[in-house]
Amino acid sequence: MGRLVFAHPAYLWGLLALSLPILVHLFNRRRPRPLAFGAIEFVLRSQQRRVRRLRLRQILLLALRCLLIAGVALALSRPSIEPRGAQASVARGPQATALVVDASLSMRYRRGSQTLFGRARSEALAALERLGPDEPATVALCAGNPAPLPAPGFDRVAVRNVLEDAKPTYLGSDLTGCLAAAARALGESPVAGKRIVAFTDLAAHSLRLDAPPPLVPPPPGAPPGTQPVRPNVVLVDAAQGSELPNAAVVATAVQPAASLGARGYDVIATVANHSAAAIAGLPVALRIGQQTLAKGFVDVPAHGTAKKTLGAVLPPGTVAGRVEIARAEGEGLDEDDAQEFTVEVPRDLRVLVVDGAPSALRTRDEAFFVEAALAPARTGGRVAPTVLDAEAAINAPLDGYDVILLLDVIAPPKAFSEKLRALVSHRGVGLFISLGDHVEPDAYNDSLGDLLPRPLHLIKTAADPSGKADARGADQAARFGVVEWTHPLFRVFSAADREGLLGARTFKYALLRPDPSGGSRALLSYDDGAPALVEGQHGQGRVLLYTSTVSHAWTDWPVRVSFLPVLQQSVSWLAGSLEERAPLPSQVGNERTVVAPQGTRIAAVIGPGGSPLPLRREKASPQAQDSVSVPAPQPGLYRVQLQPLGGAVRDEPALGFVTRLDPKESDLRRVDEAELKAQLGGAGSAQVASSAQAAEGARGTPLWGSLLLLGVLALLGEGALTRR
Amino acid sequence: MTLDPALLARLGPLQVRARKVMEGVLTGLHQSPVHGQSVEFAEHKEYAPGDEIKHIDWRAYAKLDKYYVKRFEMETNLRALLVVDGSGSMAYGRGAMTKLQYGAVCAGALAYLLVRQGDQVGLIVAGDADAGSTERLPSGVRSFLPFAASTGHVQEVLRRLDAAVGRGPTDLSGALDFAAEKAGRRGMVVVLSDLFDPTERSLPALKMLRGRRHDVLLLHLLDREEIDFPFDDPTRFLSMEDERQIDAQPRQIRESYLQELRRFLEDTRRELTRADVDYVQIPTDRAPDRVLLELLARREGSA
Repeated sequence: MGRLVFAHPAYLWGLLALSLPILVHLFNRRRPRPLAFGAIEFVLRSQQRRVRRLRLRQILLLALRCLLIAGVALALSRPSIEPRGAQASVARGPQATALVVDASLSMRYRRGSQTLFGRARSEALAALERLGPDEPATVALCAGNPAPLPAPGFDRVAVRNVLEDAKPTYLGSDLTGCLAAAARALGESPVAGKRIVAFTDLAAHSLRLDAPPPLVPPPPGAPPGTQPVRPNVVLVDAAQGSELPNAAVVATAVQPAASLGARGYDVIATVANHSAAAIAGLPVALRIGQQTLAKGFVDVPAHGTAKKTLGAVLPPGTVAGRVEIARAEGEGLDEDDAQEFTVEVPRDLRVLVVDGAPSALRTRDEAFFVEAALAPARTGGRVAPTVLDAEAAINAPLDGYDVILLLDVIAPPKAFSEKLRALVSHRGVGLFISLGDHVEPDAYNDSLGDLLPRPLHLIKTAADPSGKADARGADQAARFGVVEWTHPLFRVFSAADREGLLGARTFKYALLRPDPSGGSRALLSYDDGAPALVEGQHGQGRVLLYTSTVSHAWTDWPVRVSFLPVLQQSVSWLAGSLEERAPLPSQVGNERTVVAPQGTRIAAVIGPGGSPLPLRREKASPQAQDSVSVPAPQPGLYRVQLQPLGGAVRDEPALGFVTRLDPKESDLRRVDEAELKAQLGGAGSAQVASSAQAAEGARGTPLWGSLLLLGVLALLGEGALTRR
Repeated sequence: MTLDPALLARLGPLQVRARKVMEGVLTGLHQSPVHGQSVEFAEHKEYAPGDEIKHIDWRAYAKLDKYYVKRFEMETNLRALLVVDGSGSMAYGRGAMTKLQYGAVCAGALAYLLVRQGDQVGLIVAGDADAGSTERLPSGVRSFLPFAASTGHVQEVLRRLDAAVGRGPTDLSGALDFAAEKAGRRGMVVVLSDLFDPTERSLPALKMLRGRRHDVLLLHLLDREEIDFPFDDPTRFLSMEDERQIDAQPRQIRESYLQELRRFLEDTRRELTRADVDYVQIPTDRAPDRVLLELLARREGSA
């Protein structure tokens, strides 16, 4: 049993009206007119026969009249029975009410034909209808970062419209923050009672139990020193106390799979099982567009995760795909059953190898080791090398190549150099230059000029290359001393593999002059500090200058294992394909910044639903690259449309990005109610109920309906008795 | 002409009322009811001292030289004792007359009639004794007037009746016992009462009177309000004979009251009829002359 509380205790004064029927009763007893009557004997006998019934009737009448008045007076005072232990932290009576509806992703959980959000919204509308005319109200949808609420008011239509138009989001929620914001808004109402009714799934991820409880600040104009008050918090459980099992794809990673060929990739999906029962044989599928590329099954332990790898050969370019799980149950959260991903599959590269020192003996050919490194067997067919000797190359058309390698080429004629310069500068073609006996530094400086990252100075012989077999020569040979391990060229080396690179010996190499522009960078240096590999940028293209040979004429590096990856990476880096990585996925709700390449502007960003998103341009100056910020309210693939200056709008797949759901939202494990109540200020000011009405019942089982009914019955009974 | 009680009440002293009633009765009778004064010869009886000298048959003396006295029917004349209930309940009557007043009119008229035809009339007013009375009377008898047949006696009867006030408890049995004692030989006892006697000894006393071969006539007087119980408002009913009182809702108890009254009247009628007591129920809103006329006519018919 609980205790009785009254919403309008002033009406209890109406109980004084109980004296009326009592007075009437007493007055009626004294009012009879006296009459001396002869046949009193018969009156006496009659009365004796009826006296018991009469007295009972009179008492009954009195009781009914008292009941009628007491029933009406008590009903007007709106009594209710409050459960034991509950106590009001504020005065009873009208309460300023903030309705907080959880609109986070987890509220999209479907149970039967209705989502949790649908139920929460219905409950909120019903709770709004039940508010008294003297109770101001405000409303907030809780999703993403908590926002301030409007002050409670009496415009019910506005509040109702907000609720009726409300839709669940894909965002996470911070219900604790929303409750605090609601409490602050309640502080703006002069009504003494404060109440927050939150409609939520009570998922543990949305509540911070270590946060301070929500407090209503003193109203504006309150005397100094007024303490904040603790509002009554009612958490209406949209899940009605039931567990909400859910399975979700929480992460997707894509990595190349050499076993599947050049464009073979492994898509690794992490599937989480947020339920108490293990899931066996959950189907997982990999789709690109409408096509299913791979299928599999995964077993996921209870409250655990499992990874499933799906292999597929992907088309070159930017690929947008999707991993899906197929749940058998009709209930659950559908939105997290799939996750999008994008991956940049490297394109095929065409490479021109200009052999400056061809030889009939294959192993003595300058291009031998380069050809071997770029052979289809080693590159998966991604690289298509064409080898020409220097003379043939000078006359050959250079269009269509991604990278040109000049290996120990005699200083090329000016025309060829100009052609090269144009290709590198304007077409972004990569240029790799290695030296050798045919290279004469001054002629090279004249011919290639600024194409060289740094001008050549002179050829240094550290040890006699011909005597490299003897121990003395080996000791005098230069070794690589400083390596930019973080550069894409060397990133492939693990700590164990680095020794192989550092062990290479170089007997002869070119020394370079200082860089007049300072735009070059030495990626690899010998132990005497002389640069071995220098990178430079020329217009849109990249240039690498290797100061020794790619044959074993001046160095033994080409015969070492470490040569192969460096050359392959160099070709890729020069072609720009190492940076061609899909933009990293972002989380739903976070604003995304998209930067257009030089010379283009972003025309539109199309969301997963197919409609363009509002753009916020952040262009600081006319010279800067076009940059926009877009909201990302939905999960999925966002496409970017570019417009080159004076050109037509086109899709740019490389700029497209994927947004993913907050994996925390997939875990709908319920918060511990006792701890939650404790955090909100104890059972006195917080309670959890399966419906708002039940909450009102728990907070106060309303008695006025029964009392009114009792009053009406008393009225009918009184009428029937007096008519007899 | 009918003397309704309202008119009668305005006629003034009882003498006038009673006389009017008597006249009304006489007017209604086509034949004199008086038989006592008939001179029908009954028998001769040898004169003995004490006999009336005027009744000596001088013709027989002339023939037989003996004094014979004629005896006529007149000598079997009635001795009628009027017993009027003077208890408190008889004082009830919110109409023209109380039951006692009504009874007094009836008794007075009867006294007139009886004396007029030569019968002797006695009077007993039943009730508790007057405070200042010097008469030594038994319990239940307030006033007693012995039998006589003179006009002056009638005046005395009327005076006593006029002076009677309804008060005190009913003790009709005491008065009837006293009547039985005083009536002597077979006579007529006329009882005027409402019979509201909580002791319930009235009926046995009446039957006892009849058992002594008296001609007992009961005029059962009831007020119209006592018969119909027409009250509506909550009423505190006060006893007229003692301290009893009761609050009642008349509407609620009317049915029950009427049942009780009906049962009482039926029991009374049945018992008295069975005991051969002449029983007449008289609502006091009826004209007394009509009542008496009907009564006399009925008795004439049954005689």
